[in-house]
Amino acid sequence: MKQIALYGKGGIGKSTTSANLSAALSFAGHDILQIGCDPKRDSTRMLMHGKLIPTVMDLVRERGAAAVTPADVVYTGFNGIRCVEAGGPEPGVGCAGRGIIATFQMLEKFGTLSGDVIVYDVLGDVVCGGFAMPMREGYAQEVYLVTSGELMSLYAANNICKAIERLSARPKSRCRLAGVICNAKNLPKEEELVAEFAHRVNSHLIQYIPRDRVVQLAEINRKTVIEYDPSSNQAQKYRDLAARIMENTSFTVPTPLGIDDLEALAIEFM
Amino acid sequence: MTLRPLPSNSCRSAGCTLTGALSVTTHVRDAITVVHGPQGCTHHNFSLLHATNLDNDRIVIPPLVSTGLSETDVIFGGEGALDRTLDSVIARNPSAVFVLSTCITDTIGDDVAMVCGIHNEVPVIVVPTAGFLGGPFQTGVNNALVALAGMAMPVKGNGRVNIIGEKNLEYEVEENFEEVSRLLDLLGLEVNVRFVHDLTVSQIATLGAARLNILRDPTLIPVGEYLRDRFGTPFIPAYPTGISGTVAFLETVGKICGIDYRNAVEDERAFRQETLDDFADIAGAGISFSLRSPDPEGTKVARDIAQALRLDISSTGCPVPVPVTAPVGISGVRRLLHRWRRSIHA
Repeated sequence: MKQIALYGKGGIGKSTTSANLSAALSFAGHDILQIGCDPKRDSTRMLMHGKLIPTVMDLVRERGAAAVTPADVVYTGFNGIRCVEAGGPEPGVGCAGRGIIATFQMLEKFGTLSGDVIVYDVLGDVVCGGFAMPMREGYAQEVYLVTSGELMSLYAANNICKAIERLSARPKSRCRLAGVICNAKNLPKEEELVAEFAHRVNSHLIQYIPRDRVVQLAEINRKTVIEYDPSSNQAQKYRDLAARIMENTSFTVPTPLGIDDLEALAIEFM
Repeated sequence: MTLRPLPSNSCRSAGCTLTGALSVTTHVRDAITVVHGPQGCTHHNFSLLHATNLDNDRIVIPPLVSTGLSETDVIFGGEGALDRTLDSVIARNPSAVFVLSTCITDTIGDDVAMVCGIHNEVPVIVVPTAGFLGGPFQTGVNNALVALAGMAMPVKGNGRVNIIGEKNLEYEVEENFEEVSRLLDLLGLEVNVRFVHDLTVSQIATLGAARLNILRDPTLIPVGEYLRDRFGTPFIPAYPTGISGTVAFLETVGKICGIDYRNAVEDERAFRQETLDDFADIAGAGISFSLRSPDPEGTKVARDIAQALRLDISSTGCPVPVPVTAPVGISGVRRLLHRWRRSIHA
């Protein structure tokens, strides 16, 4: 079983990328489980044709943890992909990080964490220990960073490198940086910039995904690009990403950059 | 942002902020204290308070209620649990409710003051007590005293004296109070409020009527300053300790209150001499101090007493106990000398 996690700045396209990646992997014949690990709970929406599924935390809040069963938390979406949303507290109260930890413990207990590939779609920044849960021992060993060529996006990706570096230093930890996905804003020299960033943090650019209107069209139609327009160039990019991830063997301990180095890098490619 | 005290900085009295506050709030007889946190925070404090009360011959069940926080409350916020607990506690018709926070509720950012603010059937008083913020036991005591003092309004003076911040968990808390009362009596002064020791909410209202506040020890100076600013009451920072403490205490109280203290001081000197005479049988004996108690104040007082009785301190002398905290007044010295005599004659 392969377990991968996608991390990146909020709004950078992690959920779109995750859903299309899951769809492409599923078409390649793999049994896929996608887990949204963000209280915003919209990771699996395109796979569920626009439906916001009840989250694990919603069910715990409404019924109490003891009354929640495995069948309540897993929803089958496009092409048999199993979808789970962790959810979390209302914005501004409680502890969302603890919610992620509690969700993982429940999924573990239920035996839900199975299949050929598990895709964890995690919120923008590793703000506390709870959001590092998918990187911990027993879960995702391969972390993919999703970023554009914008400085703030690279900055967030660099921060996640710090978390991976820290966690990978623990005894028995097998969490590694597996690659950088450039979800482009179509900026000049963007692919080169992200490739160079990936290189400097001791990793590699695994896929360049251009900005394409078909993504918005698919979203309006509540579908992944893979489902909405399988013959499009964009769908091919997601299939390429899926194939490369399955073949990838380059898992590294990242070397995060200082803020000055990061800025200098961005200026270099202006 | 506060830093956790390093182990090298902690001493035996550092402890937990919550426990310190509870040692105060549970002494208000007709109030209930709510601890907002997991039930364990309440349970171990309950046990400690109950056992210590029994040691001091005070057979009462500490009026304590936990909000019983669970993991679900931590994830979704514990404000609902606090609200429900306050409803059920207020239904028991207490004169006041004290709400104490814990490490976890401050970590997840529960707005305890907001929840307490929507309950106005009885006074609901918030005491900040999250221990991980670095405040030791004494911070909890001080926070609780200041929060409770906030319930009192300025009132007309009654010429009496308040006792502030008694160490409710200390062995001899009553004996120490009696000694201070004895000294005040020599000056013709009466005690107003023991703030806070076994009192009712209505007694707190007279807090501002006193002409003087006597603090148990100097760690309470922030509380003394707060009361001085709020009610204009001057304070003395500590109980009298050791063999010469009582005379100095009488002089200071007399000066602050404008009372002629000469006769009182004369009586006290005679009482001190009488006490030393009572222990003439051990005068000149050889003693040594146990080094287990490093309290410098206690050691200093022990040396003064030894000197007054011309006891010979040497490593080969008979081991006698050094007090953990300095004995209060001549009565405290007398109790200590009884223990020394037992050791010497053993």
